[in-house]
Order: sequence, then C-alpha cells, then structure tokens
Amino acid sequence: MVEKIALIKEQVLEAIENASSLNIIAGGSKEFLGRKITGTPLEMGRYQGIINYEPSELFITVKAGTLLGEIIQVLAERGQMLAFEPPQFTEKTTVGGVVATGLSGPRRAYTGSVRDYVLGIHCINGLGQDLSFGGQVMKNVAGYDLSRVMTGSYGTLGVILDVTFKVMPIPEFELTCFCELSRKDALTKMYELSCKPFPVSASCYDGEKLYLRISGYRDTVKTILTGIGFEEYLNGDQFWRNLRDFRSSFFNTDKNIWRLSLPVTAKPEIGDDQYLIDWGGAQYWIKSDRPANEFFKMAEELGGNATLFKGTGHNENIFQPLQEDMMIIQQGLKRAFDPHSVLNPGKMYAAI
Amino acid sequence: MQFDDLTKLLPAEAILLSEESRRVYECDALSAHRVIPGCVVLPDTIKQVQDVLAYCHSNDIPVVARGAGTGLSGGAMPHAEGVLLNLAKFDQIISLDPLQKIARVQPGVRNLAISDAARPHGLYYAPDPSSQIACTIGGNVAENSGGVHCLKYGLTVHNILQIKVVTITGNLITIGSHALDSPGYDLLALFTGSEGMLGVIVEVTVKLLPIPPFNKVLLAAFDNIENAGEGVAGIIANGIIPAGLEMMDKAGIRAVEGFVHAGYPVDAEAILLCELDGTEDEVNNGLNQVKNLLSGYGATQVRIAKDEAESKLFWAGRKAAFPAVGRISPDYYCMDGTIPRKHLAKVLTGINELSIKHKLAVVNVFHAGDGNLHPLILYDVAKPGELERAERFGSEILELCIEMGGTITGEHGVGVEKIREMCIQFSEDELEQFHAVKAVFDNKGLLNPGKAVPTLNRCAEFGAMHIHKGKDKFPELERF
Repeated sequence: MVEKIALIKEQVLEAIENASSLNIIAGGSKEFLGRKITGTPLEMGRYQGIINYEPSELFITVKAGTLLGEIIQVLAERGQMLAFEPPQFTEKTTVGGVVATGLSGPRRAYTGSVRDYVLGIHCINGLGQDLSFGGQVMKNVAGYDLSRVMTGSYGTLGVILDVTFKVMPIPEFELTCFCELSRKDALTKMYELSCKPFPVSASCYDGEKLYLRISGYRDTVKTILTGIGFEEYLNGDQFWRNLRDFRSSFFNTDKNIWRLSLPVTAKPEIGDDQYLIDWGGAQYWIKSDRPANEFFKMAEELGGNATLFKGTGHNENIFQPLQEDMMIIQQGLKRAFDPHSVLNPGKMYAAI
Repeated sequence: MQFDDLTKLLPAEAILLSEESRRVYECDALSAHRVIPGCVVLPDTIKQVQDVLAYCHSNDIPVVARGAGTGLSGGAMPHAEGVLLNLAKFDQIISLDPLQKIARVQPGVRNLAISDAARPHGLYYAPDPSSQIACTIGGNVAENSGGVHCLKYGLTVHNILQIKVVTITGNLITIGSHALDSPGYDLLALFTGSEGMLGVIVEVTVKLLPIPPFNKVLLAAFDNIENAGEGVAGIIANGIIPAGLEMMDKAGIRAVEGFVHAGYPVDAEAILLCELDGTEDEVNNGLNQVKNLLSGYGATQVRIAKDEAESKLFWAGRKAAFPAVGRISPDYYCMDGTIPRKHLAKVLTGINELSIKHKLAVVNVFHAGDGNLHPLILYDVAKPGELERAERFGSEILELCIEMGGTITGEHGVGVEKIREMCIQFSEDELEQFHAVKAVFDNKGLLNPGKAVPTLNRCAEFGAMHIHKGKDKFPELERF
C-alpha cells in the first residue's frame, strides 16, 4: 500500500518536474462528464480495498479505486447504506469518482449530499504532499474542512487516496407510489409533503406522473400510503435505480442532457423540451439542443446553476460560468492546493 | 491614534474607545484568556462592515469578529492592537419562506430565535448547541456548532444553504445559493467552522425542518462504563438513529442529581439518555426495542418516560450538567475531544488516571451517539497553580483523543485554546496547506490572528510537543 502511494506521489512530482499535467482516472464511468482534458493518465483503479468498516461507529474508510458496487454490498450486509445514493453509471464506478464529482442520487434532497457524508479524506496535493483532513468521527472541527472542499472538485485539488464516509441504516421498509398530476399540482404536492414530517425519501415528476418513495417503519409507511391517495408502484426499486443511473428511457437520447439545480420554488422556462423533475423540485433534467447560454442565463436568473451533463460541446463551459470575483477565489484555492497546475487542470473550468 | 479615522466610517456611538467600554469585550466564554481590544465597533449596515474591513486592510489592523461571545475556545478573544467587530446589531430575521423551508437571517440572530420564528409554520432549525438561547447564528457558522441532536440532524454545515461574507478587502461575496448545490469548489463547507479566519459573515440562509410529531426519552443505568458504551454501539448497530444519545458518569450523575433532582440513580456508574423522534407508534416501538437491547447489555434499570413531563425532567438533568458542576466547584474547564466510541472505556480510564496525576477531579458528560466527550475539569482559580494544572490536564486529555484516532475538538473549535494541540493532530505539510488556504482570503493575516491554525514557528515554540510518533516534526526550525 505504501509503495503504491509512493508511486502516485512520484507521478505528481514528475509532472511538476516536466511541467506537464495528470489526468486522474479510475473506472471511467463518468467519462462523459466535465470538460475534456489532456494529461498523462494517473490510474487509480487498482488502488482498491476497504481499510476499515465499523458498523456500530457508522463509518467506512475505503481506498479511492474501490468499486462503489462492492461498498454498497458490504454495507447492505450489515443493514447500512451510503445515504446520498450515488449514481453507478456502470459497474466500474469507483468511490474516488463519486467523491471527485460529488454526485448524489434521488435520496439527496431528503438525506443529504456526498459532502454531507464525507468525514475525512487522505490525499496527495499538487505538491506531492501526503495529507489527511477530517477523520473517522462525525464531529470534528479541527482545522478547515478541506475534505468537504475536495468533494466535488473533480480531482483538481488533490489525488484522493482514501475516503471516510458516515454511513446510515437502510430504512426498514420502502415503497413507491404514483399519481397522475399536472406539473403545477405535482410541484405543490412535493412542497406540501416536504413541509410535513412525512418520510419521503425520493420524488420524481416525469411530465405526467408524480412518483414518491416513502421510507421508514413498515407500519408507518403502509399507513401513509393509505392516507395519501396514491397508487402503489410495484417496481419501485428499479424505478429509482434507473433514475439514479441514467437508465430510464428518458436518458436514452441524442440530445444534450442539461441538469438544473434550482431553489425548489423556481419555475424554469422549459418550453417544448422533455424534462424530469426530482429532488422535490430542486433538480431538473432537460433534454434539449438549445444553446448553452440560454440554460446558464436562466439558471442564474433563478438563483441556481446549470450543467451540460451529457452531450456535445464538452470543450466549452459545461458548468455554470462563475462571476469574476468568485473565479478569482477559485483560482486562488486551486493555486493553494496545486500551484503548478498538474492535477486535472481544466476539468471543471478552463482557468482552474 | 490608528483608530481615529474609523469615526469617518461609523457614527460616534458605534465606536467604543474608552477602556471601561472595551473591557466588556475582553473575553468570550473561555474566560481564562483575556485581552482588552484596541477598539470596539458596532456597525449596523453591511456597508459599514465593508468600510471597516477595507480600512483595517489598508492600515494593517487586525480584526476579530464577535457574535454573542458564548464560544468556549477563545475564538472571539480580542487583539490588543486590533478592532473587535461586534455584529450584535445585525439581529433581524430578513425573511422566512415556509414553502422553501428556509430563513434568511442576519448573523446576530440568536439560534433559538430562528426556531421560535419557524414554529408557527411547523418548522424549526435543527442544530441546538447548549448555548442556543444566547449564541448567534453567525458564531454557529464560524464554529460549525453541533448540539445534542446532531447524530441524526447534522451540524451547522449540514443545515445552511448560503452565506454572505465580507472579505478583508471589503468585498461582499455570496457563497452557496438557495439551490441544493453551487458550481465550483464548496466554499460554504470551507467557511463553515473557519473560526472567523477567512471573512466576516453578514448573512446566513438556514434550512428549516418539519418539527417531529412526537418524541420521548429513555433513561438507562449501568454499573460499569463498558456496558454503557456497548449499549450505545448496540443501539446504532441495530439500525436505530436516536435524535439524542447522551451519557454521564457517576460524578456527573451525582452533581446533577444534587442540583435538579431529575430522578437519576445516584449509585449507577453511568447513565444513558436516549431520545427517539418520529410518529408516536414509531417512537414507542423503537423505545421498547432500545429497552430490550440495553437490558441485554447489562443495564441495571431502564425507564421509559411516562409522559412529556418526565421526558423533560430526564433532559433537564443533562442540560443542567454544566451549572450543576459550577455549583460543586468554583471553576471548571470544559474539554471537547471526539473519539471513536469503541475506545470510550479506555479513554475514561485514562482520564481518571490523569485526574489522579494532576490532583484535580473530573466529571464526564458525553454526546455518546457521535463520540464527542465533554470532560469537565474541576479547579479553583484562586488556588495558585490550579488553572495551569487544569490546562495541562485538558491538553493531555486531547492528546489521548488523538492517540485513539479521534480529534481535539468536536464542536467548540480550536480558537486560542487548542492551538498547541493542532501541532500534534496535524503534520507540518497539513498545517501549511491550511495556511495556503488562509492566504487566498487574507494574505496579510489580519482576520482573527493567532487563532485556529498555529504557525510552524508557534509549533516549534511548544518544544516538547513535537516529538510526535517518535520523530521531531519540525527539525528545520530553530528552538527557543
């Protein structure tokens, strides 16, 4: 293990020496995501294994190249899960990729995001230094919270070696139900439910039907289903898995797929494009060939952000453009971790 | 006088220059560390905050921001040549949107005032530090405050969406948004818990949660600490996430019982309080399950509260732990390490050995669910040497927490108090990474100087502390 870390360090130092850059890769399941970059591949896929798993302490520490599927299975054997329900676009999805992209699935709006469950990160920064931030305990305010800053940074701040997640128990019982509603009524229903102590763990509106997943004790969930007037959907697990992993027929398209992350009460102008709404109204998926700037402008006006998630145009701006003063700060942070710009430069924005 | 020009930026009554008016601010709740600030300002507009910071930046004047001053680590301890920026006048709830379940508030709003305002909508703000009637949300963000319910509901970082910050150069920036995520690096996570080192928070948008319909508390007694610790692990391994899960040792039980008469069993070695929330059926079923589990782990008695009044009484004891200790000792020093829970018995044994070594009594209260220990070291500041002994005792407890794979601070922050233990928890490279991040926001080091992250020279001055894992951590630095 130590030899392997030394090897990663060496590659970083070599890149500094040669004034070149690295392209950190593992399972490649999210290759379509982010800006296209060049750089010497830094293969993390074989850096695998569970370092420590303590079900009664609610944490698991794993090496970055470990397959997400393996972690999910190991946790499930002890009745636990990653509560942010990360996408597993292919079976090669790794833990490092999950943390680097910060992507969360349908449960996110109700239980929190990847960074909410990251307790600690061990990494190599752009100077080849071996650093650990956070730890294995869930309350820890010593030093700046750099493990959460690294989450979702697309490998531009450090090479993630291992990660500690807080894990949660799998709910005793879950069921999915649906109801045909107009978009307006579906959104209203989602707000209403989220304002009550009502155990929704996922919600999705596909333009015709509102789907809800209810999680909790079996009796409570059954009682709720009776009271809410929705019809039970029998293939619920698969429905949410397909949404999470982009396997729903909606995602089978030649058009660009845009992701809009918005305040729940925002009302985006969708026009004739096909869409899906999830996260209780906080996340929109839109299939469209409309120009990128229309989405960036609309998202900004609505107080959110847009991402060209999948499609063409991936050498341009694919994440929401940042205001100038914000970009200066982001560039400063990049320099603080990676002054020679060797780690995935340009993966998120051309300037970092 | 370098503060004179501040009168051009602020009304005269918003600047305190006389010694007696400045002395009021000489410390926060870590009263052993006191410094009279060079000057105190009380702005009431964001523009004034921007002007003050820009002025301080141009004139190289240190700035320490302060909310209610309830912090326990000296994070708001003033700088003798600096400006103390008091945000007390920013005490308005700007808006509360029950549909979005958010509230936009000024930094000087008290934690509990947010829940009070949200209650008519069936909502509340989850993080509940013990000082919640007095502490402000700005301070909560700066310290990433927790509370007794954070095992289930998270810390401040999990419960805020957006902050507005004035940088040391006087720029106003918005971090985060009212959407669930924001593009670029997660500055919201970076600022939460940054102890006033990176910018001054002038507005916070918090998430609100629906008030759980029902909750109830269970009290369990144990005749040894190990069993209590195993009981906690058993609850969690069985898939139950209590809203609150607290432990207290014998000294704590006795101090509390003599004070509030909560009905705690005074002959027990440890008690556990376990609160569940949810629907009435869920809570009652869950508590029965917990009761059976804990009996299986050797609890000598388990009592489920009969009604709301008894739930409150059980909590009253835990909530009164600090004042109860204040009653039996002239002074106490509250520590804040976090450990992996499985090492609880080992750590408590170690703390008891340190108690004998330093000849000072200790009372242990413990957020058992998340491993956050609050040993209260009893001392008398009037007795020569006791404060110093208490501080050494505390420092050794924190070293023990690090040794066990834990951390020196779970929720109180580093401040000035734990600055030397930072040299033990983090390597030289890690501390340098922190400094590099700090420099992005404050390259002159004017915001809260001397707090949170020690300089490498400072670590070197601590001398003996550096022999870490058998090697000197800072061999290149001169020793003083």
